[in-house]
Amino acid sequence: MTKQTLPNTKPIMGRIIKKWEECEDTFGFLIDIPVKVKGAKPGQFIMLWIPGVDEYPIGIADFENNVLEIGVSKMGVGTEAMINKNIGDLVGIRGFYGKPFQPPNKVNHLIIGGGFGMTPLKLLTTYLLLREEKEEIHIFEGARSKNRLMYLDWFQNLHDQKKLVFHVSTDDGSYGYKGFPTVDLEDFLQKSETPSVIYAAGPERMMKVIFDIGKKYQKVIDMQMSFADRYMRCGFGLCSYCAVDPTGWRICVDGPIFNAKQIEQIEDFGNYRRIETGEKQRI
Amino acid sequence: MELETTVGSIKLRNPLILSSGILGTSYSTLQRIYEAGMGAVVTKSIGPRARKGNPNPSIFALQEIKSVINSVGLANPGYKVFREDIEKLIENKIPTIASVFGENETEFVEVLEGLKDLHILAFELNLSCPNIEKGGTQIGTNPETVFNIVKKIRSITSSPIWVKLTPNVNNIIDIAEAAVKGGCDALVAINTLKAMVIDIDAQIPILGYKRGGLSGAAIKPIGIRYVYDLFENFGEKIPIVGVGGISRGEDIIEYLLAGANAVQIGTALGVAYPENMIKFFQMRIKKYMKEHTIEKISELVGGAHK
Repeated sequence: MTKQTLPNTKPIMGRIIKKWEECEDTFGFLIDIPVKVKGAKPGQFIMLWIPGVDEYPIGIADFENNVLEIGVSKMGVGTEAMINKNIGDLVGIRGFYGKPFQPPNKVNHLIIGGGFGMTPLKLLTTYLLLREEKEEIHIFEGARSKNRLMYLDWFQNLHDQKKLVFHVSTDDGSYGYKGFPTVDLEDFLQKSETPSVIYAAGPERMMKVIFDIGKKYQKVIDMQMSFADRYMRCGFGLCSYCAVDPTGWRICVDGPIFNAKQIEQIEDFGNYRRIETGEKQRI
Repeated sequence: MELETTVGSIKLRNPLILSSGILGTSYSTLQRIYEAGMGAVVTKSIGPRARKGNPNPSIFALQEIKSVINSVGLANPGYKVFREDIEKLIENKIPTIASVFGENETEFVEVLEGLKDLHILAFELNLSCPNIEKGGTQIGTNPETVFNIVKKIRSITSSPIWVKLTPNVNNIIDIAEAAVKGGCDALVAINTLKAMVIDIDAQIPILGYKRGGLSGAAIKPIGIRYVYDLFENFGEKIPIVGVGGISRGEDIIEYLLAGANAVQIGTALGVAYPENMIKFFQMRIKKYMKEHTIEKISELVGGAHK
């Protein structure tokens, strides 16, 4: 059941208490939320309002003691306006919206993504590390080059402590393997014997490639992917600007996380997205 | 006990219609909502060409008054693109009402000409959107313009024409009279109310467009009043579709008693499980009818006028 942890309200103003350059063109923010809120679940998102500029969905990287962590990559006027914000500035938060990842037990957890997609995957990783079941966690992160890898130190550190296995790759070979993370993933799947679940977030074309790889292996018992990178207006199921065909599912409340069985039914997956007019555009 | 109702010549399996602007961007959401048990669905308002609408924030909830403010601003893909969605709905036998708008008579005509060959249940003329600079409320608040547009469209199509009225007027009866004289087949009342929300910390209006329209529970008594007034004035002469703030089955009964033949529901379906809401609405209506030994919806219509 989707039970929103914050009631569905107008934006609640939160204060930026920390800002740092996470990697090239991407900044991390800690935002203090002034009302008592229960924990965010991995995969959920917020609508971030930059007063006077724009509002858009953003993944949740962490949430503890009423402090929210997000990562914002420069992609347009709205994200740039956030990046130009500083400690002490106020921004509006609506959410937490959407259905979360639902990791089963007794499987290998294979977490793969790139760019802004790493944000919800960071919270998923934290969540899995806190669980009592100790299963293997593998992170497959890819980026164009080393300076564009999000949470590099954070994942590397957990790898060094042997809490997870960090498979990192860059297109130019400046860090980790040279190539795409999907290649790493497939290498791993070929060798592994254990039942696995794939979790993915990031550009939809990449997710499509991952989905097609995952389907080839019986040991992949499920795939859970985030569709949060879509145009949204309301965030709570009213406007349908984020809806996918032919199922009529709204990404914001029926998703943004869908499982393999659901993804199979979404013909728009990897093919079309809606823009502000409601028109479909090829991905 | 039967939930069937009629709006003029149109027969509906029940009086619940999805209102325009909610879940109406794609054939797939409209079909999903119809299959969950609505009597019919109204599309998002469609204009002559693709329109981006207003910047975000363009929709958010006002929890304290169980309402929603929006300034989507008629974002839509244009009739040439959306035609395909309507065709799919008709093919799948979904009773579909196309909401159409234009900034002026010429644009209304263009859209109607482009869609009139479809076997649509009805056209709903959105003469009352408060969230755009040209057209919208400006059109819907002038009786002469309303008359001219409705009359012109009457000459183009034989499909039923519904006219959606704005509550943002001094006298809704004047506007309704003009629409009826122009030849419309039903009145739909009401559209959203002009509204604004200012954030006191950021000290600016929250909506990207600053101004917006209010829907949801807060506007229900206003909608009831307008439907009551319209029924009192027109009686059986013109069917009324009641809309505004329905969030419980009881609200539907209230609209029927005020004089509506059917109702439209929107904001209340912006939830994780709209299917459940629709079932609750139906259950509550049936329970009321049973308790009051009512066999047909028509027995309720206008029942509060004593």
